Amino acid sequence: MEHSRVIDMVKENKDVFTLKFDSTLTARPGQFLMIWVPGGREIPMSLSNLSSPPSITFRTFGETTKTLSQLKIGDRFYFRGPYGNSYPVPSGKVAYVAGGTGLASLNSMILTYSGDVFVGARTKEDLFLLGDGYHIATDDGSLGFKGTVIDMFAPHVNEYDYVFVCGPEPMVKALLDRVKGNARSKIYISLERLMKCGVGICDSCSINGFRVCKDGTIFSMEEVLRMTEFGVYKRTESGKIEFFTNGKR
Amino acid sequence: MASISTRIGNFTLENPVILASGILDETSGSILRSLKSGAGAAVTKSIGTEERRGYQTPVISEISTGLLNAVGLSNPGIDNFVEEYKGFPEKKRTIVSIFGGNTEEFVALAKRVEGAKFDKVELNLSCPHVRGVGSEVGQDLDMVEEIIAEIKGGTNLQVWAKLTPNVTDVVALAKAAEKADAYVLINTVRAIGVEIYSRKFALANIVGGYSGPGIKPVALRAVYDVYKETRKDIVGVGGITTWEDAIEFFLLGAKAVQVGTALLYEDYPIYSRINLGIANYLESEKFAKLGDIVGVMV
Repeated sequence: MEHSRVIDMVKENKDVFTLKFDSTLTARPGQFLMIWVPGGREIPMSLSNLSSPPSITFRTFGETTKTLSQLKIGDRFYFRGPYGNSYPVPSGKVAYVAGGTGLASLNSMILTYSGDVFVGARTKEDLFLLGDGYHIATDDGSLGFKGTVIDMFAPHVNEYDYVFVCGPEPMVKALLDRVKGNARSKIYISLERLMKCGVGICDSCSINGFRVCKDGTIFSMEEVLRMTEFGVYKRTESGKIEFFTNGKR
Repeated sequence: MASISTRIGNFTLENPVILASGILDETSGSILRSLKSGAGAAVTKSIGTEERRGYQTPVISEISTGLLNAVGLSNPGIDNFVEEYKGFPEKKRTIVSIFGGNTEEFVALAKRVEGAKFDKVELNLSCPHVRGVGSEVGQDLDMVEEIIAEIKGGTNLQVWAKLTPNVTDVVALAKAAEKADAYVLINTVRAIGVEIYSRKFALANIVGGYSGPGIKPVALRAVYDVYKETRKDIVGVGGITTWEDAIEFFLLGAKAVQVGTALLYEDYPIYSRINLGIANYLESEKFAKLGDIVGVMV
């Protein structure tokens, strides 16, 4: 377990925060850390910025993320990692497609390799880390395209050489169902699953034998299409199979 | 090429390297991946009568000599397990690990496992960090004897008894378990990890199990003691990371080995790497088969 100090905390919107910490860690775009709140839980989180100082960007959804969001400048910040593989280096025309907190993972790529960014959220209040010219979709139409980010992006997929995707599993599944493996672009997807160890031994995040934490989190579309469990069911903390209810983001 | 096949009870394995219970074996997809990657067999994560979420994170902590874990026997429960493994193609090479709090639970689980067309169980008599099961059951010699006798009497399963090293006399424990078809030695060693800057425990459950290279000498000692006294089939486990580690266990009486924590360091290529090393060693040391070195130092 490593520890450093919080050097900045930015409130991005009503429940999303960016925490900068004092560390010289070297990470590649798309990698994640296991963040620990002493006496509380340990959870995986994408690095949203790899420069020095690095940062994480997260939504508060439980006790651990809430505690994290309340850290003050100078407080100790505990983590291990970075873990996982990274997004490949693109060439040609690049698109980024993000839903949920997926933009946190894609952000370090966007800062390095320019491209068109497509972002989806429930409402405009849920958006964060936006840059100039981002294509916005909101479920309620409160900003930009009314509908899902996949509805907005899918018609344009073949305009791109490389497409990088990060978001909730049903969102990714919706994209794959639309593309059906026929895209001319190279599509890479960062997957999200319940993770406990982060280092590829506990099997909590495995999909058809692929470990999201160690073989991923980033997989090619061809690999994801081979995962017959993908988008169909996930695992609970016990390892029990739980089927997805369709279409929710 | 020297033969590396081996036999545990009535089970013939093409090679002696088995995936240990608790690592990369919660999902049937990962069990298959180990078997396709060259494991001779694989043991499932321990299954109980009811679904268990396990402990909250952190459930693992890496230290320089291995790994501490307190996952807390998370498992989907026998009903969900049986459902997931319907149509599973590798039941002969998969040993189902089960845990219970008393003889009745163990027997009921064993019968469900047999009903699901598996033919081998590993009894988890040794998980060191969950109250009322695992090593708390596994230290009660009378209960160990009764559990094994009842499963052997009530089913046709091959029974592997995974014993705890957290006792004064592992030989007495092995003797209580002598109706088992094989011993699996050892489970993790009860341990604690400390984080000095937060002054908190490294694992949410405080107490966990210690595995990896640091416990290999403890495991070797247990294998030696038990083999010397019983001459029964032993599956050695505890800190095996290289083929040289595996050879050490064979020389002291193990007929097969299990790897778990080593997957953290070596990942899936570990099976073929250890198997190749064993074959080369037998060849260069002029042994015709693996059996020729089993227990030669005891």
